[in-house]
Amino acid sequence: MMARNLFIPITLGLVITFLIGPFLIIVAASFSAGETLAFPPQGFSLRWIAKVFTVESFRDSFYMSMFLAIGGTLAALILGIPASYALSRYKLPGAETIRTIVSAPIIVPGIIVGLSLLRYIVVPFQVGITLALFLAHTALILPYAVRVVSASLGNLRSDIEEAAVLLGSSRLGAFFRVVLPNIRGGIMSAFILGFVTSFNQVPVSLFLSGPGVRTLPVDMIAYMEIVFDPSVAALSALLAFMSIGIVFLAERFLGFSRYV
Amino acid sequence: MFQNRAEALALALPAALFAAAVFIAPVVILLSDGFRAPGGGWTISAYTEFFSSSLNQAVFLRTLKLGVLVTIVAAVIGYAAAFAIVSLEPGKKGKVTGLIVLPLMISPVARTYAWIVILGRTGIVNQAFQALGISEAPLRILFSETAIFIGLLQLFLPLMIISLISALENMPKDAIPAARVLGANWFQVFWKVILPLTKEGVVIGGTLVFTGCLTAYITPAILGGSKVLMLETLLYQQVTVSNNFVAASVIALILIVMSFAANILLKRVATARNKTMRNTKGTAQ
Amino acid sequence: MSDPNFLTLENLTLAYGDTVAVKDLNLTIGKGELVAFLGPSGCGKTTTMRAIAGLLSPASGHVKLDGADITRVSANKRNVGLMFQSYALFPHLSVYENVAFGLRLKKTPAAELDKRVRAGITSVGLSDYADRKPGELSGGQQQRVALARSMVMEPKVLLLDEPLSNLDARLRLDMRSELQRVQKETGVTMIFVTHDQGEALSLADRIVVMKRGAIEQIGSPEDIYNRPTSAFVADFVGFENIFELSDGRLKTPKGPVELSGPVPIAAGLAWRPRMVTLGSGPFQGTVRGASFAGNSREYLLDTPLGPIKAEVDAALPPHELGAELAFDLPVGTAAQLSTFG
Ligand SMILES: Nc1ncnc2c1ncn2[C@@H]1O[C@H](COP(=O)(O)OP(=O)(O)O)[C@@H](O)[C@H]1O
Ligand SMILES: [Mg+2]
Repeated sequence: MMARNLFIPITLGLVITFLIGPFLIIVAASFSAGETLAFPPQGFSLRWIAKVFTVESFRDSFYMSMFLAIGGTLAALILGIPASYALSRYKLPGAETIRTIVSAPIIVPGIIVGLSLLRYIVVPFQVGITLALFLAHTALILPYAVRVVSASLGNLRSDIEEAAVLLGSSRLGAFFRVVLPNIRGGIMSAFILGFVTSFNQVPVSLFLSGPGVRTLPVDMIAYMEIVFDPSVAALSALLAFMSIGIVFLAERFLGFSRYV
Repeated sequence: MFQNRAEALALALPAALFAAAVFIAPVVILLSDGFRAPGGGWTISAYTEFFSSSLNQAVFLRTLKLGVLVTIVAAVIGYAAAFAIVSLEPGKKGKVTGLIVLPLMISPVARTYAWIVILGRTGIVNQAFQALGISEAPLRILFSETAIFIGLLQLFLPLMIISLISALENMPKDAIPAARVLGANWFQVFWKVILPLTKEGVVIGGTLVFTGCLTAYITPAILGGSKVLMLETLLYQQVTVSNNFVAASVIALILIVMSFAANILLKRVATARNKTMRNTKGTAQ
Repeated sequence: MSDPNFLTLENLTLAYGDTVAVKDLNLTIGKGELVAFLGPSGCGKTTTMRAIAGLLSPASGHVKLDGADITRVSANKRNVGLMFQSYALFPHLSVYENVAFGLRLKKTPAAELDKRVRAGITSVGLSDYADRKPGELSGGQQQRVALARSMVMEPKVLLLDEPLSNLDARLRLDMRSELQRVQKETGVTMIFVTHDQGEALSLADRIVVMKRGAIEQIGSPEDIYNRPTSAFVADFVGFENIFELSDGRLKTPKGPVELSGPVPIAAGLAWRPRMVTLGSGPFQGTVRGASFAGNSREYLLDTPLGPIKAEVDAALPPHELGAELAFDLPVGTAAQLSTFG
């Protein structure tokens, strides 16, 4: 019995240390006063956190990543919500094929998506890097959008649309009056999942970078190959807190985990 | 279920066409590049050439090895962790599960970067080793398979634990006590009761972890450096350093085939076990 | 005033893709009638209702309502109410807003809308619950909301899909009288679906018995209960002893059997257990099973005609298992079946 009582706290202690510990170290290292990345941190200062905000390329790539995460997710939702609705409410020939097509970007390694986009869209069609990144991120988020919105539609009885129609509403009106209000939580969750996925995404964006156009994580990788001070740690910590904060709020107010 | 076909297509086609144009078409063309003969026509010489290089073989085997190893270790730790979590009281269970999921929200760049601080020359591990007198000079842990292994495990372990938590929660409540009453020891309980009843969870978790290892780029890039390559980093090098798009296409197909093969194989394993279970049940009755 | 051809279904064939669910159905319902669709699960009751409501367009045939052909009129323009088996309330709207939904779409003036919605909610006894969401109501209350939501629209026809089958026994009785009251007060033409003969018999003016996508028999509750015209309907309304006739003799597993007395020209004959005479008659049977049901006793007899179920007054002395009994199947009381099979 004794062994069993110890088993649980020891196992969980080790696993959580392994999973969370490195993140805490990053946070601690970013408060260091020293010149190099080290743990335990040498002294305490906010200088590296302050430095993050002065690096110009970080600022540009942060805006780029924000634009991709928000714009790409919105575009994926605009494509994904009608598709999910069709897949869950209509008897559609080839529904499985369509579902496979829109979910495919999740299966294929991101680096391949990025490379093939570069080779066969950007180069032959003279598409700008920003637009290519936008397309790539939209394609990448689309599977998540379809999955989460579908799950949320699946929890909603489909006869309420028919009830609305019988009470005089048009089909489109029924969608906006009784479907949309009831899947709002799912859509918000899809948005957050898409945002976090896009923001943290590296391999897709790796090949799609040009002069002055880069996503933040790609920029960070490039930066840390040259500079070995705690500023990357500080940026990592800041980004992590941003993601955690968003997801925490989402869970609090939307019950995010129901849909994911 | 609505019947109107035109309406349904109008709703579903934009997304499907978008994914087909932006994603499927370019990827398919890229994959076909590996089979194009220089003078026109088709050939598999790029593949034979790729596998004839001992460097490529090593990278391929390393990718396979790390994928399998990480998946197995994740499953072992995952069972222990998931088992510990489901035996917590409900309030605590939610909090601990939250802590397990938390790292998934953190940028993989940040998560991988932390290991430099820990495993680097002046990192925590080396400091500890030297302080304890285990080693004199700093060990080279970074830029090794070990470092990649640790990084990948940390990256994907949460996926395995979550899959196993839901599998364990869906298990009939009395299965374990029933087996204990019948005299099974914990090892037997695991093999005869828990594993068969949660195999779907391991299969889902295993697929996620293994596919994750194949598609992870950041971890091998940062923790493996330019010497200890995996297929993803090799692909990147082939394109950026050697400008060899044919090799990139070959690697891309290998990665896709590997993840599909893993998918199918794991599903097979799950159903095969199912059959033997049903058979033994049949004879017992 | 009342129009006997208020709702007409003409040669209606309904299909889901290639599977035909209802075939060549003809039915006429008068204004203000309360009609029950009775039949086993999967016989096409819901499908027929969906076609009347306009949610399913027929493969062929016509739906006519109040003198107009509405076959091609879309569901939101028919003014046909449908109460779904699952109630289909809007989860994000309060009881008040659920009931007001249709009136708002019709741009009903605010004062009139409020008056009608409140009257609707009050009439189903939910005035204290107007601000609740459907999720905060019991199943019975949700159903009343669904009823009020349909009724405030003053539909020409109100369709109810299994309105009683999701309720427990007591609520079922409440809802039954509620439906009768609403129908009497408003005079709305009502069609309800059920697979429970008791519900159909007690509520309906007329019963339409359906079998595998076609109408098997239409009649008053008395007709259906006492004079089923087919073996299927007889079985459905509790005739347990059903025989096919050939050349004036009963077909039994052990060969043809003569009945006493003149046999009518029919495809078959059927007797309820209560119609079997026990203790005298030309046939012999062995008691294989007996059960006590309060006012009566039921016996299962093994006979040369096959198994026979008989029911007698419980006040009579009971028969032991294995006892040999004489019995009769009186031709005079038997239901005469015009079709068999
Ligand atoms: N959406 C559908 N798609 C295909 N077949 C259906 C669908 N709905 C009902 N059916 C079939 O049509 C027949 C009649 O169904 P239904 O009208 O629901 O029966 P009831 O309401 O009498 O139980 C059944 O055989 C059923 O399987
Ligand atoms: Mg039905």
